[in-house]
Amino acid sequence: MRAALGKDMASGLIVPVAILLAWQALAWRAGTPLFPGPWQVSLSIWKLWPAITGQIGYTLMRAFAGFLVAAVLMIPLGILLGRLKTVGRIVEPMMDMLATLPPPAVVPIVMLFAGTGDIAKIVIIAYAAAVPLIMNTYEASKSLHLMANQVARSLRLTRLETMLHIDLPASLPMIATGLRLAIASALLVSVTSEMLLATNGIGVFIQRQQENFQIAGGLAAIAFISVIGLIINNLVFQLERRWLFWHYRSSESHSDG
Amino acid sequence: MSAGSLTSFSALHRLNAVVSFLVIAAAWQLVAISGVVPAKYFPDIPAIASAFWSMLASGELPGAELRTLTRALTGLAGASILGIGLAVLSDLSPVFRRGFAPVAALVQPIPPAALVPMAVFMLGLGPRLYAFIIILVTVWPPYFNGVAALAGVPGEQIRSGQMMALGRWQMLWQIKLPAALPEIFAGIRYASTISLIAVVVAEMLAGHDGLGFLLIRKAFAIRIPEVYALMFVCALNGILMNGIIGLLRWQLTGWHMRMTEQPA
Repeated sequence: MRAALGKDMASGLIVPVAILLAWQALAWRAGTPLFPGPWQVSLSIWKLWPAITGQIGYTLMRAFAGFLVAAVLMIPLGILLGRLKTVGRIVEPMMDMLATLPPPAVVPIVMLFAGTGDIAKIVIIAYAAAVPLIMNTYEASKSLHLMANQVARSLRLTRLETMLHIDLPASLPMIATGLRLAIASALLVSVTSEMLLATNGIGVFIQRQQENFQIAGGLAAIAFISVIGLIINNLVFQLERRWLFWHYRSSESHSDG
Repeated sequence: MSAGSLTSFSALHRLNAVVSFLVIAAAWQLVAISGVVPAKYFPDIPAIASAFWSMLASGELPGAELRTLTRALTGLAGASILGIGLAVLSDLSPVFRRGFAPVAALVQPIPPAALVPMAVFMLGLGPRLYAFIIILVTVWPPYFNGVAALAGVPGEQIRSGQMMALGRWQMLWQIKLPAALPEIFAGIRYASTISLIAVVVAEMLAGHDGLGFLLIRKAFAIRIPEVYALMFVCALNGILMNGIIGLLRWQLTGWHMRMTEQPA
């Protein structure tokens, strides 16, 4: 069993190693510091990691703040719109339209009202995180679980009790999906916003590296972003599984049957 | 659901959209007239409309729009084909699947904006830059959905294929891919939004043409009505893109939608 596992791991390494080797070969062929290979990038990671981790701190703080603002505002709003049928129906196409507006396109307008400081970036991040949050909460609270609500009626639950014990848990999995998407897009947009409204953070760090023709340094920073993104996405996924285990358990048993 | 109720459903939906649009426009106009926000930053609807019209008449907007849409669509097409190809490869070879999964997990969280400055040096400012950025960020939804859908093809279907003595490729082409296509399309639809975002970001940061570049230029020239008009065009593009994908999906997987009775 363990030997088989080790063999699996070893065969799993073939593709990543092949990709790294191909990249290195391309870099050698190009023979210029403007096209660094994985080797130069890892040297840069070694040299630059204190600076990178410092800058990434600013980025993560703003991403978190923007996400928090979006979550606090949009989840209640989404539930409210889902409950108020008429208002929801009027607002729905508007949400669809906002959802298709790329976050970077709002940057110029945010700049007018909030300048280029932390507030402006947090507003842009909050906008980006708001879209998946409100869409998912709205959809989740719009569609009622018919059977569960009939059970609630036969148990003579009050309206508030029904909302708390039936509707809320029923809509949680979808809200959780919204949260996961929102966190991912908050991370993405935090870097974008820094590059467009430069002050500090990892996005600015990458731009400085580019201006000094330190491509390997920039790629080192990108490597950090990608690892941190991976860790955060995994963490969110694990939390979701832990807190909504009942949902996953029931949906898995359904797919088996 | 019968065909009649389907059309009435979409008619109702369209009516909603019109009502919603009118409500927003009215609210916008009220705010602009009330003067709560300085008119310089928040122009009224006629000002935005005339800015839109003048950009349209000067040929600035159609040119930029055409470039941006072409980039987004070709990038999306390339990314979808590549994503499906990678998913099929993962389905055929467990070694590739195990090896490629961590690569995908690592590359996926990289923001397109971070890639632009590096890629400018490696690939220049031409179409290769756009192709690289768009494909690198939009390939994942079709790939992930493809892997999940190909792995989730019901056992009965596979066994019926085996019973008909289908070969590996026939099995893939006639049974697995059609079964996986609806889920793959859900991924492509999601990817279409990302591809638009990636194109606009790339144009904002490195471009010399296209909607993103126009947006930045107008913003720095403080032509605020033009900026709002361009944002409106960006939002319309998203709807356009969704429409194109929806049409394609209907062509390719209409049987699935008719069977599950889901309107669009």
